[in-house]
Amino acid sequence: MSELVYLYDGSFEGLLTAVAVAVKSPRPVHRVFAGRHYVPSLFATTLMVEGDPAQAERILSYLQEISKDAVQLAMQAFLSEDKDAANYLYEFIRLCLSRGAAVLQFHTNDSVRSLLNLSRKVDFEAHRLNGMLRFRILEDGVLYAPFQSDHNVIAHCAGHFQKRLAERTWILHDTGRNFALYWDTNSLQPADIDDELRAYTTHFGELPEHLLTDQERYYQHLWRCFHAAVSNPERENKLLQRSFMPRRYWHFLVEMKGRNRG
Amino acid sequence: MKTEEKLSILANAAKYDVSCASSGSTRANSPGGIGNAARRGICHSWSADGRCISLLKILLSNDCLFDCAYCMSRRSNDLPRATFTPEEIADLTINFYLRNYIEGLFLSSAVYASPDKTMSDMVDVCRLLRKKHLFNGYIHLKIIPGASRELVDQAALLADRLSVNIELPSESSLKILAPQKSRQAILQPMHHISEHKTGFALEAKKSRHTPNYCPAGQSTQMIIGASGESDLHILNLTQSLYRRMQLKRVYYSAYMPVNDVPNLPAPLSPPPLIREHRLYQADWLLRFYKFEAEEILSSNSPNLDERIDPKAAWALRNFDHFPLDINRASYEELLRVPGLGVLSAQRIVAARRVTAIREEDLKKIGLVMKRAKYFLSIKGRSLAPSSFAYHHVVAAMNRAEPASSSKIRHASKQLRLF
Ligand code: SF4
Repeated sequence: MSELVYLYDGSFEGLLTAVAVAVKSPRPVHRVFAGRHYVPSLFATTLMVEGDPAQAERILSYLQEISKDAVQLAMQAFLSEDKDAANYLYEFIRLCLSRGAAVLQFHTNDSVRSLLNLSRKVDFEAHRLNGMLRFRILEDGVLYAPFQSDHNVIAHCAGHFQKRLAERTWILHDTGRNFALYWDTNSLQPADIDDELRAYTTHFGELPEHLLTDQERYYQHLWRCFHAAVSNPERENKLLQRSFMPRRYWHFLVEMKGRNRG
Repeated sequence: MKTEEKLSILANAAKYDVSCASSGSTRANSPGGIGNAARRGICHSWSADGRCISLLKILLSNDCLFDCAYCMSRRSNDLPRATFTPEEIADLTINFYLRNYIEGLFLSSAVYASPDKTMSDMVDVCRLLRKKHLFNGYIHLKIIPGASRELVDQAALLADRLSVNIELPSESSLKILAPQKSRQAILQPMHHISEHKTGFALEAKKSRHTPNYCPAGQSTQMIIGASGESDLHILNLTQSLYRRMQLKRVYYSAYMPVNDVPNLPAPLSPPPLIREHRLYQADWLLRFYKFEAEEILSSNSPNLDERIDPKAAWALRNFDHFPLDINRASYEELLRVPGLGVLSAQRIVAARRVTAIREEDLKKIGLVMKRAKYFLSIKGRSLAPSSFAYHHVVAAMNRAEPASSSKIRHASKQLRLF
């Protein structure tokens, strides 16, 4: 009998539905993938699972019953966008069905450990970006931070800035996923970013000239001065610098502009 | 002078202060205010020397009246001098903070007027930030030795963290190298802060309206390699600062020869970076691994070995305590195994709660065995290769240093070549 592979559309709802369907499948399921991650194989039967709110809801409330951490884990697995996230979750839920909440402690089980690792990675990158996002202040006072990330962490970061800059209006823009969130001092909502602006910032890591106010240029310049002055040439260690602050994050960092060959 | 020049001069002069921690405070945002403090602390960038930038670390002034031998800003040096106004610093802090460049401010200063006048200007910066700009981000304020108690208290009620730098590890070194500072003037405000912090904490248990006194605690810094104290002397001092003054952190700063003075290493001699690194490792053992200073060093061997980290050195000296059974050793014992950190010790304890750990589980739990294998056993069987000699272990400890250590060793080798 050929292998059975379930595919879903890449949404959270789709993922939960596919996992739910797989768990209930009478035939052993080989894998569960987001469509974009699947490399077709001759020997597999693939089944595209349509997202179904009711099924997704049910599996969520099942996880809720197990523990809050289990829901958290599913959420984080999804945000990690790891190609195996759905597989791990499928194995995890099957284990939960037989062993209950104790599964969360099964550090030696591959799927459980992988889920925990993914979750840690997502938190780590979110924390990292909470520090490495750079706002540009626009003419009208809106703070705008374009960025790129491995995992889908924009919601985590938005949560952080909702507390920190509650009384300011700001936009976080994940240029890779082209998704932006706008905080209007009251609520958070998805925002549309002008295509031209997106293309420009994605390419140059900076606002186009006409949007950079004199003030903004001034403080960017001061920040670069500070960043250079505070380093000790006698202790220079770029290897160490890069291991904390990998190159792939430099693109949007005001202080690293023009240092790409450092 | 333009702000830009002042900023360069005063950030450059502040770079000898090591601390950049922004952790330990949980100040919440307030209505109409800006910012909050994150308990974990957040790094925003890293400078070319590989150190985290979390705070706008800056001096209010480098125009010093004192003449400390080890200091770039000392009075007898001929160099550009600058002094910020409190408004200028507040403006920079707010504008950097809004752009998410920093977590807050770390303000220090040369003594450009009387200690009281200097301290009072620094307190003014805090007051502007907290009261006028309603800034709730992190503030670390240096205390100027000799400043009045009233000013120290005002500082403690506005800032998150305070620090008084010990500078040199002993009174006699202080006398020679920093004649205008006395041990007394340094320790007295430390004592004062520690006592008041405890007092306010007790008060806070009775009433919710007790203000926060120095909520992120105090830290200090000492210069390593400018004077002749042994590592044992330094670690004993550190230990008593943690225990008796409740310090949150002690920082070590490898001395960089900036002045040509008779009692100090000559200019261009390399800073003792490896020694500094080993001291941080030993400090770590005191704070998180329940070691005593006297276990790490003794009067017979009063200095840390540069080639090997202090935990491995301890384990090698006590090789007869090992191997430990991974399924039976207590958490505290596991912490003492080279190559196991807090996280791996916790994972071992969690994993074996479910079922006994087998050899094939080690990787899965995420343990790196390169060093640990010489010190652990499972069901009476050592995890080390079947026949090994003591010097193999020593070599392994050397080779499998944590990444941060090898990067520092690598970098200082390069330094030596020049
Ligand atoms: S008091 Fe001493 S250490 Fe401080 S700035 Fe002046 S000379 Fe330097």
